Amino acid sequence: MTIDSGEVIALVGVGILLTALYLQSESFVAPLIRGVAFQSLLLGVLLGWLAWTDRSVDLAVVAGLVVVIRAAIIPYVLTRQIRAFRWKVRELHAAHRVTGHALGAVAVTVIAWIVFEETLAPLFPSAAGALPFVLLVQGLLMLATRQNTLVQVIGYLEEENAIVYAAALFARGFPLFVEVVVFLDVLGVTLVGIILSIQRDVTGTPESAHPEELTG
Amino acid sequence: MTWTADAIVVLQAATVLLLSPLLAGIAGRAKAWTESRRGPSIVQPYRDLAKYLRKETLVPRGASRLFLAAPFVAFGAYLLISVVVPIITPYPIPVAPTVDFLGGGLLFGLAGIVTLVAALDAGSDYTALGASRSVSFAALAEPTLIMVFFAVAVITGTNNPYVTNNLLAASSNAYLSATHLLVTAAFFLLILAETGKLPVESAGLMELGMLEDARTFEHSGPLLGVFRWNGWMKQFLLYSVFVNVFLLPWGLDAAPTLAGAGLNIALLFGKLLLMVGVLAGLEATVAKVRLFKIRDFLALSFSLAVLSVFVFAVLGVP
Repeated sequence: MTIDSGEVIALVGVGILLTALYLQSESFVAPLIRGVAFQSLLLGVLLGWLAWTDRSVDLAVVAGLVVVIRAAIIPYVLTRQIRAFRWKVRELHAAHRVTGHALGAVAVTVIAWIVFEETLAPLFPSAAGALPFVLLVQGLLMLATRQNTLVQVIGYLEEENAIVYAAALFARGFPLFVEVVVFLDVLGVTLVGIILSIQRDVTGTPESAHPEELTG
Repeated sequence: MTWTADAIVVLQAATVLLLSPLLAGIAGRAKAWTESRRGPSIVQPYRDLAKYLRKETLVPRGASRLFLAAPFVAFGAYLLISVVVPIITPYPIPVAPTVDFLGGGLLFGLAGIVTLVAALDAGSDYTALGASRSVSFAALAEPTLIMVFFAVAVITGTNNPYVTNNLLAASSNAYLSATHLLVTAAFFLLILAETGKLPVESAGLMELGMLEDARTFEHSGPLLGVFRWNGWMKQFLLYSVFVNVFLLPWGLDAAPTLAGAGLNIALLFGKLLLMVGVLAGLEATVAKVRLFKIRDFLALSFSLAVLSVFVFAVLGVP
C-alpha cells in the first residue's frame, strides 16, 4: 500500500487546525502548554514525513529540532513557571467566554481563508497554503484576545509554528539556517515569558493585571 | 409505484413508529446496567404509552388549540421524516423526494418549534423556563444541523441522503476524508445534545438541569403520550441517520424487495444496538456539564461542522 503525500499533509494540517481551535477555547494554562506541544509534535511528524519522502537530511534535522525544542524543551520550561500553582493558573476572563472564543476562532478561520484566497493564493502552488496562513492568524488572535503572559507566549509559539509549517510546505529546499533563526526567536520569546513570570511571582497572583500584559 | 414499493414505504414508517419505543427501552435498560441497577423492562415504554393513552387529558386555563395540536403536528413531522431518510433501504423509496436532507432538518425544526410554542402557550413558569432554555441552546444546535447538511452536500454534490449513503459505502477515500470525519464528530455531539444524553442532559425531571421534559410539563394523558412517542421517534431517526449515512453506511441490501427490506431492518437494529451500547458506556464515564456550559459543548459541535466545510473548501475530498 502506498501512502499519498497529499493525504498525509492534509491529515496533519487538519490536526494542526483542530489544535489551534482547541487552544482558542481553553482557559487553563497547563492544557494550553500541552496543546501547543502537541501541535509542535504534529509539525515535527509532518517534517519527518517530508524528510523521508524527499530523502533530505536537512529536513530530518529540522524535524528533530522541532520535536525536541518545541514539543519538549519549551513546554517543559513553560510548565516549570506554573509548577507551584498548576491547577489554578487560568485566564478567568477567557473561562467565561469559551463559546465566544470558539465561535470567534471559527469566524476568524473563515475570514482568514477568504483573505488568503483573495490575496496570497496565487503565490502558493497549492490550496493547502491557506492552512499555515490560518494558523498564523489564529496565533495573532490569541495574542490579541488573551491577557495572561504565558498564554500570549503560547500564541506567539503558534505563530512561529505557522511560519515553520509554511516553510515546510513550500520552501523546504531553503537552507537550514532559516529554521534555526526561527527557533532562536522562539527561545527569545520564552526568555521574555520567564522574566515576566518572575515578575509575577514578585508582584502577586497570576491574574494580577499590569505585569501580566505584553503591551506596546 | 408498485405494490412492493408501497409496502416498503409502510414498512419503513412502521419500523420507526413501532421500534422506537423498544430502542428507548433497551437504552434505558443498558444505562441501568452501567449503573449496577436492574432497570425497567425493555418494553416499559410501550406500557407507559398505553398508560398515557388511557389517562385523562387536562388543559391549562387559557391555553389555545395550539396546545392540543402541537403533539400531533410534531408527530406528523417525525412520521414524514421517517419515510424520506435512508432507514431500511439504500435506495430512495417513492415518497423520499418529498424533501431533501435540508428539508428533513427543517422538519426537525418544525417539530421543535411547535413543541416550544405549545410550552409557552401553557402559561406555566416551568414550561416557559424549559422553552427559554431550549431556545438558548437551539440557537447553536440548529445552525450545527444545517452546517452538517451543508458538509454532506458538498462531499456528494447533492443534498440527497441516499446518494451520501451510497458514496460513503462505496468510496473509502470519501469515508476517511477529513471532511467526513469532522462532520461525523459534529453530528455525534449534536445527537448527544438533541437526545438529552450526558454530558449535556441527565434524562429525567431533575429541575436544575432539565431541558426537554420541562417543555411538556403541562401536557398530560394522551397528549403527553404523543410527546413521549415523538421523543423516541426523534431519537430513533437521528440514530438511524447517523449509523446509516455517517458512521456505518455499509451492508444495506439493495434488492427492492420486502425480504431485502426485512434484512435491512435487522441490520439497522444491530447497528442501533451498537450505538446504544456506545452511548451507555459514554454516559457511564462522563459527568454532566453545568447548564451554562452546554453552550460551550454546542459551540464545539458547531465549530467542527464549520471546520468540515472549511477543510473541504481548502483540501477537497481526495
